Amino acid sequence: MVVATAPSQANAASSQRAGPRTAAPQTGFAPWKNPDLSPMVRFEGITKRFDDFVAVNNVTIDIYEKEFFALLGPSGCGKSTLLRMLAGFERPTEGRIIVAGQDITDMPPYERPVNMMFQSYALFPHMTVERNIGFGLKQEGMSKDKIEERVDEAMGMLELRQFAKRKPNQLSGGQQQRVALARAIAKKPRLVLLDEPLGALDKKLRQQAQFELMRIQETTGTTFIIVTHDQEEAMTVASRIAVMEKGLLQQVATPGDIYENPKTRYIAGFIGDVNVFEGTVSKVSEGCIEIDAADGYKFKTKSSESVTVGQKVGLALRPEKIRIGREKPNSDVNVIPGKVEDIGYLGSISHYHVRTAAGERITALRANAAHTVEQSITWEDAVWLDWPVDAGVVLTG
Amino acid sequence: MRARISDLKRWYVIGAPFLWLLVFFLIPFFIVFKLSLSDVATAIPPYTPTFSWSKGISAFISQLDFENYTFLFSDPLYINSYLSSLKIAFFSTILTLLVAYPMAYGMARAPKSWQPTLMMLVILPFWTSFLIRIYAWIAILKPEGFLSLFLIKLGLISEPLQIMNTTTAVYIGIVYSYLPFMILPLYASLEKINPSLLEAAQDLGSQPWRAFWQVTFPLSMPGVFAGCLLVFIPAVGEFVIPDLLGGSDTLMIGKTLWTEFFNNRDWPLASAVAVLLLLVLIIPIVLFQRQQEMEREAGR
Repeated sequence: MVVATAPSQANAASSQRAGPRTAAPQTGFAPWKNPDLSPMVRFEGITKRFDDFVAVNNVTIDIYEKEFFALLGPSGCGKSTLLRMLAGFERPTEGRIIVAGQDITDMPPYERPVNMMFQSYALFPHMTVERNIGFGLKQEGMSKDKIEERVDEAMGMLELRQFAKRKPNQLSGGQQQRVALARAIAKKPRLVLLDEPLGALDKKLRQQAQFELMRIQETTGTTFIIVTHDQEEAMTVASRIAVMEKGLLQQVATPGDIYENPKTRYIAGFIGDVNVFEGTVSKVSEGCIEIDAADGYKFKTKSSESVTVGQKVGLALRPEKIRIGREKPNSDVNVIPGKVEDIGYLGSISHYHVRTAAGERITALRANAAHTVEQSITWEDAVWLDWPVDAGVVLTG
Repeated sequence: MRARISDLKRWYVIGAPFLWLLVFFLIPFFIVFKLSLSDVATAIPPYTPTFSWSKGISAFISQLDFENYTFLFSDPLYINSYLSSLKIAFFSTILTLLVAYPMAYGMARAPKSWQPTLMMLVILPFWTSFLIRIYAWIAILKPEGFLSLFLIKLGLISEPLQIMNTTTAVYIGIVYSYLPFMILPLYASLEKINPSLLEAAQDLGSQPWRAFWQVTFPLSMPGVFAGCLLVFIPAVGEFVIPDLLGGSDTLMIGKTLWTEFFNNRDWPLASAVAVLLLLVLIIPIVLFQRQQEMEREAGR
């Protein structure tokens, strides 16, 4: 039931507070809500079959200018195939791809206004950093001086000037990653594609690189599309996230929305930690749904989900939304007793793994503020879990 | 004590190939070198040794002359043989490269499951004797051979082709025989190239043909270099192919050497030709060794 670990939790929560980072300079950056804007990239009913295997199944997505758009999903979900179709390395079996109003479905890769940063970086091993970055400009037939100028600009942006004359194999992984990014932006394309760009970096470098990606995306004002299997990465960098599973598009929303209002159990479990209670809808009143769970416990939650009485649903609860205490709260809904099985102490916060009477394992988070020390909860303690009515999300899928 | 034993073991391991080279390469070479310094004679064996243990080294040195070597430079036949061999080897190396590159490229780009089979097909000719394969070419190239008959049947020519016993036939023979030595190193270096490099080149606006020249070809240079040397070095000293397929006007040092040795029975002069041939080839051999070393270091 519980997927990820504490730091990811903290990260997801922080990004949720700050809202999508790309939107930070101009709050309310939400071109997808503006019906007058036409999308920068449009995937129109894209299906890709390899023999019998359906890699991408009837996917339609609109991506707008200056977005930092993330395609998120486990390996084999079709996200990379979708990106490769946009770059022109694969042809969709069905559907059209439109970039800036132009149908590019049948255009060869070398004519597309798109540059890609490859997962393996794909730096040319026989060329210096300078020549790698200038490769795309040279293909355009740009003059030597102009190429030099643009390469220098890109190298300055990514702090690569001192490595200009080195070959890729003389650079560290982080430096190679920056060269690959510099090469992808040197031509000032309208669209930069990033295929698992940080997958080869260790965790600390990866976090730095994520902020660097966002900085470059903001300063160049380019539309970025990133493919990643790392939900934390997607939450950190993206303005919107498209979650994919088995070739199907599951949900497209802002990181905050995906975290707060996941549409399905799959998404709820994929993005951050989550507890899911199974139950049956007992009452639907305006804006509220009541659920009968196992062992006679009653849950009530605010939801606009359209459900009918008797329907089996799941109730998703983020660990940080669940209160944990020794005293029974004064409420008869959204309360459940249990026994502490495990505690994960992580400094600023602790994870409490609680086994309910029905045998479910629930994770709750508690900040380790000083005043809680005296009434600290320890192993085998009988505890009560409770949460407010606006904490849970009803899952029908 | 233990260190010494392991030292000993190491010397044993390194010593085995050294011993092999000493017995089968270095000692024969010195025999040939010594022969090249002696004088021709009507005897069995047909030379008089300049060095004998009874007279000692000082006598050998006082009698020492390089008359066989100076003779090589006085008669233009030998110089021309060397130059002609180098020329034929050079052009057949280029021809082999031109034929082998597309084949190696095709192999490297073929589906992974086919590659062992294709490799097998390249090596397959080695299962038949080299001599028999060259004789087969005689049957193909001679005026009443398969090639001429086939082309006459097609109506493309009316007279039989005169390829047999010409330098053209030698080129065909060399390109055919040495093709696998060119294909294998080329394939090895082409196969190593990450396909995403080509995608990156195209993504950055390079058309496939330009991407080939800017990325694939430079990255296959180690294979090109190794293949060319593997063909060029033995082709210079080639004897069987010019002897069987070439004409009387095809001058190659291998043939000249054979004639000196077996027809003229001038062992000392033939030995001098052989020693000089080795000297001529030292430069490409050293180049090849250095390139192999660089490859090994780059692979580390």
